[in-house]
Amino acid sequence: MFRTTLAGLLAHKLRLLLTSLAITLGVGFIAGTFVLTDTIDAAFAQKFTADAAKISVAVLPDGDKADRRQDPILTTGDLAKVRGVRGVADAQGIVQGTAPLLGKNGKVAGSRATAGISVPEGALNRTVITEGSSPAAATEAVLDKDTAKTREFAVGDTITVLDAKQVKHQFTLVGLFDVGVNQELSFTGAVGFTADTARQMTGAKGFREIDVRGGDGVSPEGLRASVAAALGSGYTVKTGTQLADDLAAANNMDTAFIRMGLLLFGVIAMLVAALVIYNTFNILVAQRAREMALLRCIGATKKQVFGSILLESVVVGVLSSVLGLLIGLGLGAGALAVLGAVDAPIPTGVGVSLSTRTIVVGLVIGIIVTVAAALLPARAATRVAPIAALRAQVEESTFRAGMLRIVFGALFLLAGTGITALGVSKDPGQDALLAVMAGGCVFFLGVLILAPLIVKPLSAFVGWLPARLFGVPGKLAVDNSRRNPKRAATTTVALTIGVTLMTLISVVTTTTRATVSEQLDAQFPVDYMIGTQQHDATIPRTVAADLRSKPEFGSVVAVRETQTRIKGQSVNVGTFTVDPEFKVAPVTGSMQDFGPGTAAVTSWTAKELGVAVGDTLEAAGKGYRVVALLSDQATPVYGVSLTEQDFDAAFPEAMDRSVLIKVKDGVAAETSRRIVEAATEPYPAVLVESVTETRGAFDEALDMITMIITGLLGLAVLISLLGIANTLSLSVHERTRESALLRALGLTRPQLRRMLSIEAFVLGLIGALVGVALGATFGWAATQTMVNDVVFRAPVLQILGFVALSGVAGVVAALLPARRAAKASIVGSLASS
Amino acid sequence: MTMTTDVRQAVTARGLKKVYGQGDAAVHALRGIEVGFATGAFTAIMGPSGSGKSTLMHCLAGLDTVSAGEIHIGDVEITKLNDKQLTLLRRERIGFVFQAFNLLPTLTAEQNIRLPLEIAGRQADQVLFDRVIETVGLGERLGHRPTQLSGGQQQRVAVARALISKPQVIFADEPTGNLDSRSGAEVLAFLRRSVRELNQTIVMVTHDPVAASYADRVIFLRDGLLVTELFEPTAQTVLDTLMKLEA
Ligand SMILES: Nc1ncnc2c1ncn2[C@@H]1O[C@H](COP(=O)(O)OP(=O)(O)OP(=O)(O)O)[C@@H](O)[C@H]1O
Ligand SMILES: [Mg+2]
Repeated sequence: MFRTTLAGLLAHKLRLLLTSLAITLGVGFIAGTFVLTDTIDAAFAQKFTADAAKISVAVLPDGDKADRRQDPILTTGDLAKVRGVRGVADAQGIVQGTAPLLGKNGKVAGSRATAGISVPEGALNRTVITEGSSPAAATEAVLDKDTAKTREFAVGDTITVLDAKQVKHQFTLVGLFDVGVNQELSFTGAVGFTADTARQMTGAKGFREIDVRGGDGVSPEGLRASVAAALGSGYTVKTGTQLADDLAAANNMDTAFIRMGLLLFGVIAMLVAALVIYNTFNILVAQRAREMALLRCIGATKKQVFGSILLESVVVGVLSSVLGLLIGLGLGAGALAVLGAVDAPIPTGVGVSLSTRTIVVGLVIGIIVTVAAALLPARAATRVAPIAALRAQVEESTFRAGMLRIVFGALFLLAGTGITALGVSKDPGQDALLAVMAGGCVFFLGVLILAPLIVKPLSAFVGWLPARLFGVPGKLAVDNSRRNPKRAATTTVALTIGVTLMTLISVVTTTTRATVSEQLDAQFPVDYMIGTQQHDATIPRTVAADLRSKPEFGSVVAVRETQTRIKGQSVNVGTFTVDPEFKVAPVTGSMQDFGPGTAAVTSWTAKELGVAVGDTLEAAGKGYRVVALLSDQATPVYGVSLTEQDFDAAFPEAMDRSVLIKVKDGVAAETSRRIVEAATEPYPAVLVESVTETRGAFDEALDMITMIITGLLGLAVLISLLGIANTLSLSVHERTRESALLRALGLTRPQLRRMLSIEAFVLGLIGALVGVALGATFGWAATQTMVNDVVFRAPVLQILGFVALSGVAGVVAALLPARRAAKASIVGSLASS
Repeated sequence: MTMTTDVRQAVTARGLKKVYGQGDAAVHALRGIEVGFATGAFTAIMGPSGSGKSTLMHCLAGLDTVSAGEIHIGDVEITKLNDKQLTLLRRERIGFVFQAFNLLPTLTAEQNIRLPLEIAGRQADQVLFDRVIETVGLGERLGHRPTQLSGGQQQRVAVARALISKPQVIFADEPTGNLDSRSGAEVLAFLRRSVRELNQTIVMVTHDPVAASYADRVIFLRDGLLVTELFEPTAQTVLDTLMKLEA
């Protein structure tokens, strides 16, 4: 029996390959994810260990866990204590704060302030100088090489850096350094100084960390104990190795997050692959019904028939999983190469390899999915009666919709609709979104059950035009596409999964974009936003006053904010200039009553504080009556808004956080830009943002995310196309004699090829249409759970693109099977049984 | 023999040779056949198994290439045509009835009958269509799919389909091979009637002396050569000739 199975497998190598490819791609993606993240983890660990080798002991402050805003620090006293411990050869305090670098235009460089760090002297220096030397004097500084490149500074130049009081200081740039794997520094950029200068510039009250190097023959563990004893409580003292391990563990958490995200797409791909395998085995069993019956006639038991199909699936599973692991290795290496090429802050130099875990996970998933998908077809094979061997011709499978199927399908659809409706009607939030997602999954199951029923009408709909345009091949193709509804349904549902998710993502992102921009347009028709790099920096009030005096500007709104405690929670409190152009639309309540002694609160904060319209809030010792709840998105002050008088009375020291400017109609963009820049010229820490540019950047980021997700979903679509190719080539095989008959009756080779292409086109289109409908509906439902007043937008062109692409992809999938069908000789095919 | 084609011959073959395979494995299926099939005649091809009957028919119908010799269908020398031209020729001038699997399972009987015309993009000759339909005698079963028809009915639909495009010649390879004698007789009677009433040319391969007796003429093959022929055959004369051949 086993030998019969294996011989059968070998006889159909191409079919085996096509079937395996679906699983291979899925396993490859999953394995690739593991290879990538494992390699990144290993490289980080290596780097941390190398860094930590320079340190015997590191001291970290415990800090006040309750108050997160206050960065814990170590004092010079602590440093002195550590230096005094026996066995300490050297100890250095590490300073890190902000030290905004000014660009060549005299304004702060970039939207985030550069970090200021200390570059210690001697063996404890962990900064990798790539060019020039370390700073040795108070007038010298080094710059990270990426910032130097973007801001066009070279060694020998003079650079200007703002200190904590926003006073300019000049330094000679003596060297460049590499931030390595420090995510924070690589994001902001960094300027390095000598330890003392770093403290002066950043205004740091102490150190983040004290690094200790032990003398010769001193054990790190012993030194750790004596340093800890010398400092007493309130400090965490680690050996260098512990520090490296902890850093690596924290980093592994980050990669675990990436891994989970990528694996989600791997799971979707495997789901589609399972459908493809299920369909393939189903067709194979149907085609080999006579072979099975013959085996049964000559004495094979049901169990043996079942076993032979399962064995076949095991062979396919093992083969494709092993291939998948190899592909995963390649994918991982490829992804690393791409990340390296775009200068991602990831260490290089560690080779990719398959860990035991990757191998086990890949093999187990691949084999289990394949075998599980083949279970039902294998059971169907056991139901073939021995007598079937004697029938002349395999009957056309006729499909009748069973009552059970209709009832179950309808129940799932109803339940899915119900759960989704519940989610949509709920207040926006995570629960609502989860309900919609669950509703979507249940509804999809309903579609899966009912798919064989909807394939027929859909193929008539989709095939209407091709059947008229392409004559006999067109008509036959449309007939063929629905002649086996179950098969057609499974084939197309595989494609539907990918298209649904792609449509959903594009609907959600387009709607998000439209909602944000419409709200901003309606309520804050702002042209410029003046702000600062650092969260705690402020703008002198003179800036707003100065801008208000310019005739080119229609309105200038100053926003002041500060933190205060309300009901025991730290809350943002602020105020903004009342201006007729800024319509702050309340969600509930009315801004009409907004006046002295009252407050308006954004919805989320109101919920956090547990206040509603009419309640009274106590802030800075005074009570304010809440008159309105505001939208969370388009509000100048996130949190609690007071009138300007009330705010200035309660928080007299608060300066402007941002200034919003609306240019009068008819003023040229260059003119207004020049005036705004001139007004902010004296304040290097103040940043001018054009709202158009900001939105452009926002749009770009959103586009990027959409593109990445669509790309990752592309894998599932690719696998489903393999499924179409596979189904089609099996159907072609099944219809060998039919094709020969058509050729004998005068169908030309191109017509035969066209017939199969149209069939695939129709299948692709059906899958895409169902996907687009589901994606748009559940995309809409999902957006309803995000914020209250959603501006729904469906990216029609993009969605039409998905549909068209699916059709074309179907045609591409049909190329090989169609070629084979057209090449077959008529006489030979007629003779085949 | 003259080089001009006899207009009364629907199909002629000269020096027809067919070799399968090469070298030691070469099989000489046809070894120089000279034969003509008269317009409006019903000819049966007989011979022992492996004598080359099917091969001859496939070559004559342009379904297979020949190794040597030439074949004319009407005034067209089909041995000179490429695949595309052959396909178009089959569409216009040749009808087929196979032993089994004659009909497309997705189409109804009527759709199957109209299929060749649709492929050729031609309109059905309504008079002919009605007459064929009447002759085929399926009545209300025309709207049924092949699986809902008996074997004999299926073969009659196949014959009707072959007739509908008014081909110059219909080739039938053991059209009754899978049928019981009653259904077979129905199909054969139908074939003969279409020769008589529609002046159709039919060439039929068969193993069955009774089937052959429906024809106007029987030609006998042995080892790829035409060895003898009978006109106005009866089942008995055919059987006698076969016995002689196999002896
Ligand atoms: N494709 C092929 N390749 C090689 N040899 C072939 C091929 N087709 C037929 N033959 C051989 O050619 C010879 C004639 O075959 P053909 O099928 O024409 O015989 P037949 O008279 O139709 O026989 P039957 O009565 O059994 O149908 C046989 O010896 C056969 O084995
Ligand atoms: Mg034969």
